[in-house]
Amino acid sequence: MSRISQPSAPRTLFAAAIAVAATLTACSAPGDSDKSGSSDSGPIKIAVVDARSGQLSSLGGWEYKGAKLAVDEWNKKGGINGRKIELKSFDDQGDPTTGTNLARKISSEHYIAMIGTAESAVTIAMAPVLKQAGIPNITSGQSDGLVALKSEFLFLNGPTSTTYDSTLTKHLIQDKGYKKIAMITNNGSYGTGEHDAFTKAVKDLGVTPVTDQVVTTDQKEFSAALTKIRAKKPQVVFIGSEEVEAGLIVKQARDLGITVPFAGAAPQGTPVFTETAGKEAAEGTIVSSPYLGNDVSPAAQKFAAAYKAAYGEDAELHGAKAYDGTSILLTALKNSKVATGKKLADAIRATRYDGLLGQFQYGADGVGITRTSIGVIKSGALVAQN
Amino acid sequence: MQDTLQTLVSGLSLGAVYALVAMGFSLVYRTMGLVNFAHADIAMIGAYAASTFYLTSKLPFAVAMVTAIVVTGAIGLVIERVLRPLENKDFDLMLIGTIGFGIVLQAVAVLIWGTTGRAVPSPLHSAPLNILGIRVRTYDLLVMAVAAIAVVALALFLSRTKRGAAMQAVAMDHEAATAVGIDVGRSNALAFAIGAGLAALAGGLVGPMLYVDASLGGALGIKGFAAAMLGGFGSIQGAVVGGIAIGVLDSYAAGHFQGYSVLVTFLVFTVAIMIRPTGIFGERTVSRA
Repeated sequence: MSRISQPSAPRTLFAAAIAVAATLTACSAPGDSDKSGSSDSGPIKIAVVDARSGQLSSLGGWEYKGAKLAVDEWNKKGGINGRKIELKSFDDQGDPTTGTNLARKISSEHYIAMIGTAESAVTIAMAPVLKQAGIPNITSGQSDGLVALKSEFLFLNGPTSTTYDSTLTKHLIQDKGYKKIAMITNNGSYGTGEHDAFTKAVKDLGVTPVTDQVVTTDQKEFSAALTKIRAKKPQVVFIGSEEVEAGLIVKQARDLGITVPFAGAAPQGTPVFTETAGKEAAEGTIVSSPYLGNDVSPAAQKFAAAYKAAYGEDAELHGAKAYDGTSILLTALKNSKVATGKKLADAIRATRYDGLLGQFQYGADGVGITRTSIGVIKSGALVAQN
Repeated sequence: MQDTLQTLVSGLSLGAVYALVAMGFSLVYRTMGLVNFAHADIAMIGAYAASTFYLTSKLPFAVAMVTAIVVTGAIGLVIERVLRPLENKDFDLMLIGTIGFGIVLQAVAVLIWGTTGRAVPSPLHSAPLNILGIRVRTYDLLVMAVAAIAVVALALFLSRTKRGAAMQAVAMDHEAATAVGIDVGRSNALAFAIGAGLAALAGGLVGPMLYVDASLGGALGIKGFAAAMLGGFGSIQGAVVGGIAIGVLDSYAAGHFQGYSVLVTFLVFTVAIMIRPTGIFGERTVSRA
């Protein structure tokens, strides 16, 4: 091994290392080219776009599982008009820019509809491209910003933040009699939506939050905000952030000696939230949710059993939402004899569907459901409030 | 007043972790004149490894930490071995190489541990101490103690042992060091291994405070790097002062500027660096390019 002849070896090695890195980071991007351009024959192509990597990947995983369950059931019954339904998952990494690129991709590859994303920010970023391409999108996002887009191709598979939070504030203020409410939200799309919706909902009931703390979406340490909250001695703390961050906030709040319950919307009802916070810390969290568990109705029990059989884990809200959204899309496809574009969007709007989350009936704003219920976390599980 | 002290306490514990990260950066820079951009991702691997040994293999926390340090120390050795032929030949390629290694480590973490991170419960189960209304987590005290021990041990190693002295000599003048019979390669390897071990120590300790996922390196790295710069790159006491300064600054910024806290932290940092480009303890002695 002479030293002089070496430099080329490490160069190759670096080139290889960087190439490997590039391949590994890029391997989640689907490389399939378009097979069938026609929409009249062959499989019906539906895209599921969600975060499949990163901090929001559990959300994406649940949504994909819910959507796939619905598609598998329909395929087992023979598909639609004799055509199989083909579901393909795309990873947006929870990133709006990646999402926009994916929107162009699914448009150029002739997907006729899209399920997802679970992230309002990504959905909002993708919406203009999908609208232009005429691809109906059923999202799990709940930000009121989605409604503000006024896209006739955008549908929500659950309630908006306004619905979640007005139900929640009614419970906190009218049922529980809380007057001193602290807020902590993040400055992401979801958190901002929750912040605005909750602030308006409490003000409508004549209460002003004692403190309003805003954190960033990638923050992991919340002592400063929590110290301010503790100083105000609130009776309840409203939390507007995604699963993991909310879990960390509650975990650290307990360490700082904040003993009052936390209250929030869908993310606080998930197992990821409870695991991150720790069972003890999460106990007593008040949750506003359209899906309070797998035992609330016979339909939910059937769904939960199928979910458990397929994936070996318990179903939760996001899987149920995606299942409902996908079922609505498939029903609309069947009713419209596999229409595309504007016709398919109209068919979705015309669909009446009795789902796991309730009775869906879409208005012009793309919202199909406007009610949630109140649940509480007891022994690590979300149960209905008595 | 109580709030101010509470914020200070929280800032100190994270500051101790940033100090450990900064020390790893500084040690490698001091001996090789190289900024190891893979350092933060080694810390992330260390955090994952420690949490895996602790939660999945059910080892006691201390044992899990030591095992993680050994694992990352080995990774440090591998990186140094790959970079060694470039030493004193192609400095830019060495820098790019460390960036490449960082990306590879992130990809490897996703392959091994998947995309979803994990929350690590605190290994200490005692309730937080209550000192005049200020809550101090027992785990935070542990982190600060371990960081302090690491600082003292490293300082002693560099100043009191033969090998440490040799590393200092290599840092000052590697040609003269070679002339008196010091193995520069071995000295560099040791610096890389200790640096990687410090990264694992920081990552493993921070696991129960934050959340372990593939992006952890980004969060630790940028603050650790800033801490090293602020203290003076290459200086061990600078790393400690810089780490604590960044931790406390970050904590107060979060309290006062909420969503804009990161921006404020780095604005203050930028101003400080403009006023004193070499950092608090900085002296530009190392230049091996």
